[in-house]
Amino acid sequence: MNPENPENPVIEMLSPLPGFENCKRYVLMTAPEIAPFARFQGLDGSKPSFLALPPQAVVAKFDQVLETADRERLDVEGNEPLLWLSIVRIDGDRAFANLRAPLVINPRRMLGLQVISADEQLAISHPLLLD
Amino acid sequence: MLVITRKVDEAIVIGDGIEIRVLRVGKDGVRLGVTAPADVAVHRLEIYNAICDANASAARDASDAALRKIVDRFRRQASPESPK
Repeated sequence: MNPENPENPVIEMLSPLPGFENCKRYVLMTAPEIAPFARFQGLDGSKPSFLALPPQAVVAKFDQVLETADRERLDVEGNEPLLWLSIVRIDGDRAFANLRAPLVINPRRMLGLQVISADEQLAISHPLLLD
Repeated sequence: MLVITRKVDEAIVIGDGIEIRVLRVGKDGVRLGVTAPADVAVHRLEIYNAICDANASAARDASDAALRKIVDRFRRQASPESPK
């Protein structure tokens, strides 16, 4: 998987990820053998690289809805589909998904945002079930 | 840090027009109202810092090897009928 491959469309973050202010552009690298995980690869600055997976793969009934302001920022029209990804943190033998601040991407416009939810029930470090 | 004292109903403006107004001062804390363009995110500092930390930690150990290990173990527990 080569992030600089021109076939990988570039996602522009409307605001950089907190802690990675020097990176505005990312590519999403997927492959059947790693599904439902993907790699969210930064192209600028320190080129941060994140593992991510859809929040529904972590908690089946995850059903966050974007606030109006974020819908506007992402130029969401009607009911068009958005891509939601939770960033994964690995700690030794354990892994955790950030359900509290998912990445939300508008595939039509290739715009993205890390949306911090006000719902305090959603964990920043939700343990992934691993074998 | 720029330190400014404001009374209730007084405000400060930042940059081109981000406004922070003191709405109420009480024993539970100070209630602030923030007026900012839609493209400016506003968060409590502690949650912003917590997300920064989580992002930094996530980016630190995201090698292909780490990814493979997690993927294999996640997929195994997700499909219990597959042979172990």
